[in-house]
Amino acid sequence: MSTLIDGLSLGAIYALIALGYTMVYGIAKMLNFAHGDVIMVGAYTVFTTLMMGNGIWAKILAVVVTVVVCTVLGVCVEKCAYRPLRGASPLAVLITAIGVSYLLQGVAQISFGAKSHPVDFTIKGSVGGINYHTIVTLIVATVIMVSLTLFVNFTRTGRAMVAVSEDRAAAQLMGVNVNRIIMLTFAIGSALAACASLFYLMQIPSVSPTLGSMPGIKAFTAAVIGGIGSIPGAMIGGVVLGVIEKLALSIPVIAPYTTAIEFSFLIIVLLVKPTGLLGKKRREKV
Amino acid sequence: MREYFANVKQSFKLKHYVNYIIVLLPLILFTILHYAGALNRSTPTLLVQIGYSMILAVSLNLVVGFLGELSLGHAGFMCVGAYLGSLVCNGLVDKLPLMIVLVIGMIVGGIAAAVFGFIVGLPALRLRGDYLAIVTLAFGEIIRNICKNLEFLGGAKGLETKWYSAFLAARNTAMPLFIPTFLVGLLMLALIQNLIRSKHGRAITAIRDNEIAAKAMGINVTYYKLFVFVISAFFAGMAGVIYAGTASPIQYSFFSYNYSIEILVMVVLGGMGSIRGSILSAALITYINFVLKSNLSGDMAAVKTLVYALILILMVIYKNAPALKPVRERFNLKLLGVAIREKLFKISHDAATVTDDAGEWDEIPTKIITDEVLSTDLALSNYNPDKPDTNNK
Amino acid sequence: MKKVLKKMVAAAMAVTMMATAAFALSSCGKTKNESFKLGVSGPLTGDAASYGQSVQNGAKLAIKHVNAKGGLQLSLSMLDDMGTPEQAAANYDLLYDEGMQLSLGGVTSGAGEAFAKKANVDSILCMTPSGSADRVIDNMDYSFRLCFGDPDQGALAADEIKAKGYAKVGAMYDTSDTYSSGIYDAFKARMEELGIAYVEQSFDKENKTDFTTQAGALADCDVIFMPFYYNEAQLFMKAAVSKGCDGVFFGCDGFDGIASYISDITNKVMYITPFDVNSEEQAVKDFVAAYKAEYNGAEPDQFAADAYDVVMVFAKALEQAGVTDYDLSAKEVSDAVKAVILSADFSYTGLTGNGMKWTADGKCAKAPKIVEFN
Repeated sequence: MSTLIDGLSLGAIYALIALGYTMVYGIAKMLNFAHGDVIMVGAYTVFTTLMMGNGIWAKILAVVVTVVVCTVLGVCVEKCAYRPLRGASPLAVLITAIGVSYLLQGVAQISFGAKSHPVDFTIKGSVGGINYHTIVTLIVATVIMVSLTLFVNFTRTGRAMVAVSEDRAAAQLMGVNVNRIIMLTFAIGSALAACASLFYLMQIPSVSPTLGSMPGIKAFTAAVIGGIGSIPGAMIGGVVLGVIEKLALSIPVIAPYTTAIEFSFLIIVLLVKPTGLLGKKRREKV
Repeated sequence: MREYFANVKQSFKLKHYVNYIIVLLPLILFTILHYAGALNRSTPTLLVQIGYSMILAVSLNLVVGFLGELSLGHAGFMCVGAYLGSLVCNGLVDKLPLMIVLVIGMIVGGIAAAVFGFIVGLPALRLRGDYLAIVTLAFGEIIRNICKNLEFLGGAKGLETKWYSAFLAARNTAMPLFIPTFLVGLLMLALIQNLIRSKHGRAITAIRDNEIAAKAMGINVTYYKLFVFVISAFFAGMAGVIYAGTASPIQYSFFSYNYSIEILVMVVLGGMGSIRGSILSAALITYINFVLKSNLSGDMAAVKTLVYALILILMVIYKNAPALKPVRERFNLKLLGVAIREKLFKISHDAATVTDDAGEWDEIPTKIITDEVLSTDLALSNYNPDKPDTNNK
Repeated sequence: MKKVLKKMVAAAMAVTMMATAAFALSSCGKTKNESFKLGVSGPLTGDAASYGQSVQNGAKLAIKHVNAKGGLQLSLSMLDDMGTPEQAAANYDLLYDEGMQLSLGGVTSGAGEAFAKKANVDSILCMTPSGSADRVIDNMDYSFRLCFGDPDQGALAADEIKAKGYAKVGAMYDTSDTYSSGIYDAFKARMEELGIAYVEQSFDKENKTDFTTQAGALADCDVIFMPFYYNEAQLFMKAAVSKGCDGVFFGCDGFDGIASYISDITNKVMYITPFDVNSEEQAVKDFVAAYKAEYNGAEPDQFAADAYDVVMVFAKALEQAGVTDYDLSAKEVSDAVKAVILSADFSYTGLTGNGMKWTADGKCAKAPKIVEFN
């Protein structure tokens, strides 16, 4: 039971990161490999803010600052690195994203050193064997996901996002400012990454320059399991992956093979449903 | 002058051998330097690194550039080859001469990787694009994770490669490792170039450009997709065995998706579907990395990542940004060459004769270029197949 | 059509090759040395970067101290290998070309092994400050280590657990790490020999996920053996405490530096270590003060202390051997140092041990300390 709760809580983090991946993919049609490193930047922002103080207000300030910094970073990266390549081959954008990822890691290492630093950002205490931070993670993640779904489905901007993801040229003809929508997507994706970094720090109170890469890849896997481009899919994928990871870890004999099990699950899902659990079927045209 | 030039063009097919020359010249030069005793220690090391990166980049280009499927698991094939090839080498190293052991190891490693290539190729039949990319990435990580946990492969400690130690002990008498590496590179070039130029190569690029149309033309898509994955994995496995010859122990951590991406970077920067591009950019990137590593030592080491990242981003943006197209055309070596030649030899193009063979050895035009060429109005007298879009303005 | 281009490419290639060849040849020229050149390869970027940086800091501080005394002069060249064996092997060649005469080998075990194998062929002495796997020194005449070996620590931990007579024993290790699985394998073997049953859990550092599951499984143990580095260890401890664990945390030399991270934990913590940053010994106090002054208040860890000691051992051996000619070949310098280190009357007392002596198989004989707090 406690394994399941742990899995849910980890899954919620994966789901938040996966949401960012999936939104950016759905709208800009690119794999943003630097997404994991935005989480790392978020974690370092919390770390820097908490160096100034450690009270409850400092923590609240840290939340605000982190969300702002990540959002600005996401928008800047989009503007400087990805926008010049709009219309170029998707692979070129992929390579640039990898370049940005290296760049962020390099900057973090130069500014903070390679050593990991402890960050005290947890909410201490537990109720019925479940930590408070787990509960907070689950509640906040659910709220974010529900409001995001509502936003995309029921607001003008949200509909514009769907339109851009369906057909960019047609959306532009209908008067949608595509550049603005893509920028907004990056902003939202990075803000989600900031939230993910906060919850991540609650569970793992330590920052290092390479912190983002593995959760990033796992979340990407989660997004693909759910069907990349689909918001509910990212949530389901994240939670399923988190639970699988924790279940595998709880059995000592197969614990070392956790990564292999997670990725095998991905392959099996894709072999059964080639576009993920909730992915749209594409019709192939000549 | 013009006739002379045309004659030369008819008989002189050097351009078909440029890729071999690019590999062969440094091999000869450095072999001579080596046996003259004029080489230092680090140059052969760099050469081996360039050699196996080149093999990896060209073999990945076969999948990414010619078949058109994004693969992020190339390091996984390399991992299989490195581990299994080294196991065989470890068993044989005391019994046979060093180089023969290496050759047997490379063949075994290559075949083992090819088997995995077949397995990875299977989902490629069902999945497309980014879904396939993540599956290849997943395969690479699964292979690595299993290698990490298997006791007979050394576990987390890594597999000790006895060939490496034996080779070091015989360093003064044995052939330096870069010679077999480059020879394998030449072999691979001969195989892949001829494959691409053959009807099989046309079939592969047809699948890339339009799978359904290719199917309709009677191309066996299943066969060719698996075939490409197997060939590509085979050479990655061989490169893995060469890699294992440069270090002991081989550790699972090297073969992460980050390395697959590094190979992909070489392919993309060199130009998709250009073998020469892959060779040159593999050499260039390995060289940049090597220089950065050896010069930015100590406290400056972290700057290395930064410089590499910046070079990467700027190169990709320069090469691909639509807004920079005029700049690129201005400083395009290819067009510059054409312009100089036109000035020198006063050659003008006759639209009726096809001056450029689209079946060049290594550069099959991508779909976009083909479309541009096809949509160009041939009636324009100044039509230049090298600059198809200048006529659209 | 593209012949001109090809000519240009060929010309460019030729120029590059010539440049490389010239670069290759030019480094043959020899200038007069003004110090003995030490070389080391370690991770300065990547996941293990902090260990390499500590070694670099420790070694540089030691060299500064040696050089300040006048007389013997040393210099250090450190290259980044990101913890990978292949880069360490390449770094060896670069350092060899630079004229390295003595070496601190590799910082991490895998890299250290690849490095030492090359150095051994050239008869360059390697004394690794931290490459604790046995394969780093096995079957190599010129390879030594200053730290404890992994198997020794594992066996020692098992013996200690038996001696203390804990009822329920748990063990947790990092499957992705040479150091951790090396110690754990020896621990496992020894525990089986002693007939003590225990609960096993593992994790993978690469995954960077939390430890709640493993902590839950081990929460009711009286002692948890944790052969991995302090950063993961402190995270695990916090997770275990939040799961209601009140047992003893028992670690190895990787725990060094953990105290500042776990000020809010009241469980008893003990670990095998050669170096204790809070030690009352004068030498250690001086070192910690000098280190903090040099590196903006950073606290030295065991890697830094080990590296400091290696350089000091080299300095002492060079002085005892009476080698003063900086232009001697690497083999001559190494042979001289090796003869001194292996001589019966040579011993060194430094930050990480008293009366350290070396045997021909490369192992360092020093008494392990078990530090406890809380």
